[in-house]
Amino acid sequence: MRELINRFFGPKGVSSKDAAKSRLKFLLVHDHVDLTPAQLEAMKAEILEVIARYVEVDVTGVDVHLQRDEGSVALVSNIPVRRVNNRAGATA
Amino acid sequence: MSECIVITSGKGGVGKTTTSANLGVALATSGHRVVVVDADIGLRNLDVILGLENRIVYDLVHVVEGECRLKQAVIKDKRCDNLFLLPAAQTRDKNAVSPEQMRDLVEQLKEEFDYVLVDCPAGIEQGFKNSIAGADKAIVVTTPEVSAIRDADRIIGLVEAAELPEPRLVINRFRQKMVDRGEMMDKDDVLEILAIPLVGIVPDHEDVIKTSNMGMPAAYDQESVVGEAYRRIARRLQGEPDVPYIALEEQGFWGNIKKWMGFSNRRAI
Repeated sequence: MRELINRFFGPKGVSSKDAAKSRLKFLLVHDHVDLTPAQLEAMKAEILEVIARYVEVDVTGVDVHLQRDEGSVALVSNIPVRRVNNRAGATA
Repeated sequence: MSECIVITSGKGGVGKTTTSANLGVALATSGHRVVVVDADIGLRNLDVILGLENRIVYDLVHVVEGECRLKQAVIKDKRCDNLFLLPAAQTRDKNAVSPEQMRDLVEQLKEEFDYVLVDCPAGIEQGFKNSIAGADKAIVVTTPEVSAIRDADRIIGLVEAAELPEPRLVINRFRQKMVDRGEMMDKDDVLEILAIPLVGIVPDHEDVIKTSNMGMPAAYDQESVVGEAYRRIARRLQGEPDVPYIALEEQGFWGNIKKWMGFSNRRAI
């Protein structure tokens, strides 16, 4: 009920609470692995470089980020493949 | 059996000293012999919160350096015969004491008192290391804000690295009205992020300023909602199971409707 009321009368867009929570989660993940956003970008570029030797990657759709789940941190990546690069002779 | 509890937070200004003073009062008035130790050497404040600033002769550093006996430095509270303060030195810095010296000091205090509460300074340096040196347990104080929670997370990691048991969390300056509007993280949001057990929630209330003006912690005031919050934390610390969380005034539009309709305007959080 409260949520319904808030939906009609509440603030528009993302509440500041949700903003706080998502900023915190991002901050803590980086604090825990002791990796700066710049280092993460560098790592992402290197990973892509390796993958691109075997398959053709859709660079615009790449998503690599750290995710915190119940105390442990995971590197989650979603790398869309356009097509297998036959020249390298590898399988995707 | 005596125990030493350190009250810490990482970030400054979130209410460590207020929490230390109020828990000291709440534990002492429920019959335990309690000493609160101000470990913020160079920036002492616990004496002021307790209204004991005029009674200080010797301090923690004098004891450690052997200039006085421990009994000479410990000050009895004005209102409660069970509550004592060991003040910090004001003119020295954190390096005047070592973790080993703090450990020895706490051991001596534990022979005399049921609870030794150590008010830790902000930061993660020497003052923090000294404060946790003799502690058996830790309480982490935070507010529902990004910076305070980030620092609390860091402190929790350091407490666990020091091989203390999992710390317990106090959420201070909680505003139910803002939570209801989606403008403040709720207790579940904070607990989801910090993932340690909760020991209490203290509402953001003008009593805190008023009682610090007077040098009389809110836990002495039976009418104060802040005092009640701290008394309940003290009960949980003593191992009382299932102490309910304090009912906060439900404010704003929805609360007023309920008030008009004659429903209770208080609810558990």
